[in-house]
Amino acid sequence: MSTLAAQQQALLEALFAWPRQDAVRALDGYASGVGNPPDRGLKVYQANGHLLAERALRAAYPVLVQLLGDESFADLARAFWHAEPPLRGDMAEWGGALADFLHGSEQLLDAPYVSDVARAEWALHQAATQADRDADLSTLALLTTEDPQTLMLDLASGLHTLASPWPLASLLLAHLEGQPTLAEVGAQLTKHVAQDLVIWRAGLQPRLRQALPGELALLHGLQSGRTLASAFDAAESLDFSQWLPLAVQTGLVLGASRMPSAPQ
Amino acid sequence: MPSSAAVVTMPTGIEVGIGWRHPHYAQLLEQRPALDFLEVHSENFFAAGGAALAVLERGRSCYPVSLHGVGLSLGSAVGLDTWHLDQLAALVERIDPVRVSDHASFARGGFSGGPVHAADLLPLPFTGEALDLLCANVQRVQDRLQRRFMVENLSAYLQWKTPPEQALTEPEFLNALARRTGCSLLVDVNNIYVNALNAQSAGQCADPLLACREWLSQIAPEAVAELHLAGHCRVSDGHGDIVIDDHGSRVCPEVWELYRHAIRCFGSVPTLMEWDTDIPTLDILLEEASRARAIARLERAA
Repeated sequence: MSTLAAQQQALLEALFAWPRQDAVRALDGYASGVGNPPDRGLKVYQANGHLLAERALRAAYPVLVQLLGDESFADLARAFWHAEPPLRGDMAEWGGALADFLHGSEQLLDAPYVSDVARAEWALHQAATQADRDADLSTLALLTTEDPQTLMLDLASGLHTLASPWPLASLLLAHLEGQPTLAEVGAQLTKHVAQDLVIWRAGLQPRLRQALPGELALLHGLQSGRTLASAFDAAESLDFSQWLPLAVQTGLVLGASRMPSAPQ
Repeated sequence: MPSSAAVVTMPTGIEVGIGWRHPHYAQLLEQRPALDFLEVHSENFFAAGGAALAVLERGRSCYPVSLHGVGLSLGSAVGLDTWHLDQLAALVERIDPVRVSDHASFARGGFSGGPVHAADLLPLPFTGEALDLLCANVQRVQDRLQRRFMVENLSAYLQWKTPPEQALTEPEFLNALARRTGCSLLVDVNNIYVNALNAQSAGQCADPLLACREWLSQIAPEAVAELHLAGHCRVSDGHGDIVIDDHGSRVCPEVWELYRHAIRCFGSVPTLMEWDTDIPTLDILLEEASRARAIARLERAA
């Protein structure tokens, strides 16, 4: 290893290793801090890391902040910073592993739904930055003239589905939009109400709602490139005549197109 | 491509811009104050789409944009992150910025068996080894972007222990970088002063203003393409005392004095007013930008 690589690795270990006394002592061989006392400078970098971690996760997980409270969330951000350091220089890309990190936490055994909340919030966070897609609703006329076995539906940017054993949609909507009430969500948690979730982007705005019965199967089929007829066959409990107008009005469906191999 | 007729600039001979941050997105687009350019942090717009990118494109239709990166990790001994460079190249293609820059720093390196990114501007030792590596990485960036890149000096809170025979001064290091790669230099005047104040606390600098003037005088004028101005703060807490480049207040009188000296050294290079924490109203930021413009004009006239 080159001298420069060893220097850089020593500083990164002093910033990320936890506990870090040994790593800080090892850095002493390469560098001295600035300030009074000399290790004050190293603490600037350590504090910057913790501040950035908390800021980045707060932006991605606003519901989790409300569920855990400010102090616990800051502790979580620090612990996650050391356990799963960023791999890239875009902090908006960091934090996707938080749901798995929470899933293994003994301190959150009394709130087992938080990892599903984190998974949903990360999907919302990612939906916000996916490539823009334009709707072409005139193509929906194909639904009245063509065989559904030759048609595909064009779906919104950022589409993501989640099946959860918890009232996930209610948990998120109660904290983000104030409906349902927290008391209603509490009652659903007590009853172990399960809710599936659909996340997508309408224009520039990430959206979420509870999935309709059978909707996840339809969306999975469409996302995997199956025809409308084939995807609908897998969604036996879905009322298509109810679903399609809702999906079009809310920007989940952007248009229809013929299968590439379908005759014109 | 944005229409040049829509650009709102001040024809005064010196280009002055502000750091355009989230709290001012809507207000600036609505008021369109006379500015010569906007600066944004490149990484905040790496997304393939969405609201932030849409706002930047609206801003670009009114002003030239300077893309300033904080995460390229140009001095990393494990090399550049190709993903990061690809995102930057795509953004440059999309925005057609007036300048593109990052720092003479590293953030990416080995930890627990793989590369991690510290999301900070960590200092490099001013050695030949670090210079060779920085030159190679800057050259790779310029080759990829097919344009001249700009590299900024840091405020550093740590000093590498370097044998005296291997040590370059920071101006020597930066001049050599510019000479060898053809890149330009972005001189952050506040960063120099922060470093000098901390050196003074450590007993390594008797006169911070004098040390900063000498630093500026040693930089090759033809290499300098932009100046940065910002505020800093002095922190005294349970951990000790230090001066931090927090970009959270007005420019202090000493840094204005150094800015005058920088204009005398480098001429009327574009100047950016940065403010990134405790962000004030847009009016205050514009006041600071106007002050920079007035000082530069006076120095030019003198």
